[in-house]
Amino acid sequence: MSVTQTKQIKFHNPASSASSDSSSITFLCSKSNHNTAITANKNINNNNSSYADVGKSSASIDLLTTTTSPPPPPTTTTTSAPINSHIDDRSDAIEQLYIDPFAEAGSTGELVCCPASPTTVPAKNALESPMRRSGRRPRTTSIGNQTTTANPSECIIRANNRTIYTAGRPPWYNCAGQQVEPFVIGICGGSASGKTTVAEKIIESLDVPWVTLLSMDCFYKILNEKQHEQALYNEYNFDHPDAFDIDLLLDVLTKLKEGRKVEVPVYNFVTHGRESQTKTMYGANVIIFEGILTFHSPEVLKLLDMKIFVDTDSDIRLARRLKRDISQRGRDLKGVLKQYLNMVKPSYANYIAPTMVHADIIVPRGGENKVAIHLIVQHVHTQLQLRGFKLRETLANSYKDQPMPDSLHLLHPTPQIKGLHTFIRCKNTSRDEFIFYSKRLIRLVIEYALSLFPFKETTIETPQGVLYSGRRMASRKICGVSILRAGETMEQAVCDVCKDIRIGKILIQTNLKTGEPELYYLRLPKDIKDYKVILMDATVATGAAAMMAVRVLLDHDVPEENIILASLLMAEIGVHSIAYAFPRVKIVTSALDPEINSKFYVIPGIGNFGDRYFGTEPSDDY
Amino acid sequence: MRTETSSNNSLHSSDENSAADSHVDQSEPEDLPLEPLRTPPHLVTLAASKPEEILAEYGKNLKLLECNPQVSELLTIIRDKNTTRSDFKFYADRLIRLVIEESLNQLPYTPCSVETPTGATYEGLKYRSGNCGVSIIRSGEAMEQGLRDCCRSIRIGKILVESDVNTHEARVVYARFPDDISRRQVLLMYPIMSTGNTVLQAVNVLREHGVAESCIILSNLFCTPAAARTVVNAFPKMKILTSELHPVAPNHFGQKYFDGI
Repeated sequence: MSVTQTKQIKFHNPASSASSDSSSITFLCSKSNHNTAITANKNINNNNSSYADVGKSSASIDLLTTTTSPPPPPTTTTTSAPINSHIDDRSDAIEQLYIDPFAEAGSTGELVCCPASPTTVPAKNALESPMRRSGRRPRTTSIGNQTTTANPSECIIRANNRTIYTAGRPPWYNCAGQQVEPFVIGICGGSASGKTTVAEKIIESLDVPWVTLLSMDCFYKILNEKQHEQALYNEYNFDHPDAFDIDLLLDVLTKLKEGRKVEVPVYNFVTHGRESQTKTMYGANVIIFEGILTFHSPEVLKLLDMKIFVDTDSDIRLARRLKRDISQRGRDLKGVLKQYLNMVKPSYANYIAPTMVHADIIVPRGGENKVAIHLIVQHVHTQLQLRGFKLRETLANSYKDQPMPDSLHLLHPTPQIKGLHTFIRCKNTSRDEFIFYSKRLIRLVIEYALSLFPFKETTIETPQGVLYSGRRMASRKICGVSILRAGETMEQAVCDVCKDIRIGKILIQTNLKTGEPELYYLRLPKDIKDYKVILMDATVATGAAAMMAVRVLLDHDVPEENIILASLLMAEIGVHSIAYAFPRVKIVTSALDPEINSKFYVIPGIGNFGDRYFGTEPSDDY
Repeated sequence: MRTETSSNNSLHSSDENSAADSHVDQSEPEDLPLEPLRTPPHLVTLAASKPEEILAEYGKNLKLLECNPQVSELLTIIRDKNTTRSDFKFYADRLIRLVIEESLNQLPYTPCSVETPTGATYEGLKYRSGNCGVSIIRSGEAMEQGLRDCCRSIRIGKILVESDVNTHEARVVYARFPDDISRRQVLLMYPIMSTGNTVLQAVNVLREHGVAESCIILSNLFCTPAAARTVVNAFPKMKILTSELHPVAPNHFGQKYFDGI
């Protein structure tokens, strides 16, 4: 386990403080010696403390653990693209996704998106996108250069002068908002063969922003009393396939592959049971699954896109194991040898070595084999390219002059609304007035948003003795979700109009380096899937952050049609992008501006809403 | 505060004078013996008169709050006799806020362009200063907070209209306005209009203080067609904003809002 710990530290972002202790790598391996009770105990603690994986989101999502989403409706997980249940009925759109008449002309192999709706024409020229990318700032409300918040660009860890990970979670969907299937790498090999080292090396060289590392050790079965005793005397065979809960493993891996949130059990090597808490993991661009019996189950094998067998000489493995167990885990030579001879070695011969035939690549000598790792990385890169992961947000000007989508609900432009906008848009407005008038405007936006929820006819009795046929909201289960920071300003208004409303928060910040939005923090009501959600963000420029937030909600099984995105000001591009990706999300805004400038502020716009509201404007940000 | 005691009996009566304005809070309209309803319950519908119809019937100065489902729900909750007091106040305040916001839309404005922080120009508009609110005691005071929430430092005048117990004639017994009210746009606040008599008296007082009819905006929540007709006929230039035209006014509004009955 101490091994895991060092791994954690290695990848953990040194710059991130308590506020941003989010490493994008989700390590979930508990490589501990199964039989050393004391060390293991300590390790579990380490384990817990070090899993601040998705920011604090893991802790927050623990709330959600009991409502692990039901398995998706029969989608074909192995053959076709990962389709979540809520996207099912849009399969036609998916089919269309990559057929782009304009793409052939200008495409250089980069994924080019095609619209799902007939109203939009894509024509994204891949050649021009690099220009557009440079300095891209997808939303106006991201933090400025001089703000006190940790700068996301500092959260990038570098190796060999290259960016490896960032603190937040970058987009895991393409610009049509569709989930892109992660690439799953299975790594198999005998005990102490260097699987983890290989996994690390792959991650290091991959240069992919979001990697999830899943260890088979999490899936050990819960031992009964007798087995527990055996384990104490080094007589329980942890290397046997029966020691693993393959069904659970299969379930977790399948969900991860669909890009869904999963709860991974945490195995306690002292009690040989599972901790009451689980760890939350998300599907990632790349999922690495490693373990001694990775290739044993044919079902698991089917989920793996690439199978690597780490073949290290058994002498070396024994030597490593002796060294590790004796020097690091305080065990005696006799016990280690007994375990090795009675269980580890026979298991390797019987169950592990034979699975070598399933491997796509056999890596001799483990992590030292640079050539093999290089080849693997190259292959993964090619595969990711094909899947469209390298696609940056190319939310483009191609929507120009298109009619606005039906899902847009613009507040009736009354003189009051225009007057309020005049106040909050004026650069000379004092903060006091800015807050006051934006609050008034927000209230109107929220009231309007509420009217878009379904209502049912009802007849009530009045004190006057007549019946009155009116309307009531069909469901009172409404929940507000704000996109931090600027969206937070709208929470008060939601609370003012809905009694006892639940509020969720999503922190998305723009990585100034890549220009992509990144997910930092997430806290949503437990059973959010049953709620109608008002998603709040003060301004929407390119819509990148809002899309990510919608994607998060969809990943939490909120049906698309139950989401209303409410905003004070939107740019037309943003509306098009969101409407194109999520046609059933209702978009509410009080004003629509035509353009976005090079810094991705809406023109004429409000400026940086969050900075103006909270008073954190850098002196010369504009 | 006044409760229009006989309004239930004169639902469709054109004889407006029979409906007296009483300043007696204790009188509870719901306790009055009701005449057999002229409109069978199943025929009492949403007062969903189309804006065009209202325009045709009452002229362009009577405006209805856009009746989206959300507003319908607020009306429904306020009218429901099973609504608890806290809910009643909560939802009434929400409706008031919407009505006030809409009333402010009627104020005069001038175009104005401002520079945004991004350096661009926004073609906005500016409201003239010199507005004030006037509430009719007591139910009109329920709407003061809504106005304050929109205009923080607005001046608010008050009018107390009392109806004679014997003659049922409404008369103004107290009025306090800003000195320069004649130069201001006046937002007159009164939530329930059954007959319109109270409002007639209040507007008369305002006119005596030199306020032009066209400078008055009446903010109202519930209005009967009869009251609308009365007020529009009397003051065709006054702007009226209400959220619902319905033959039965929820006369319990003031009591439930303030007394919690």
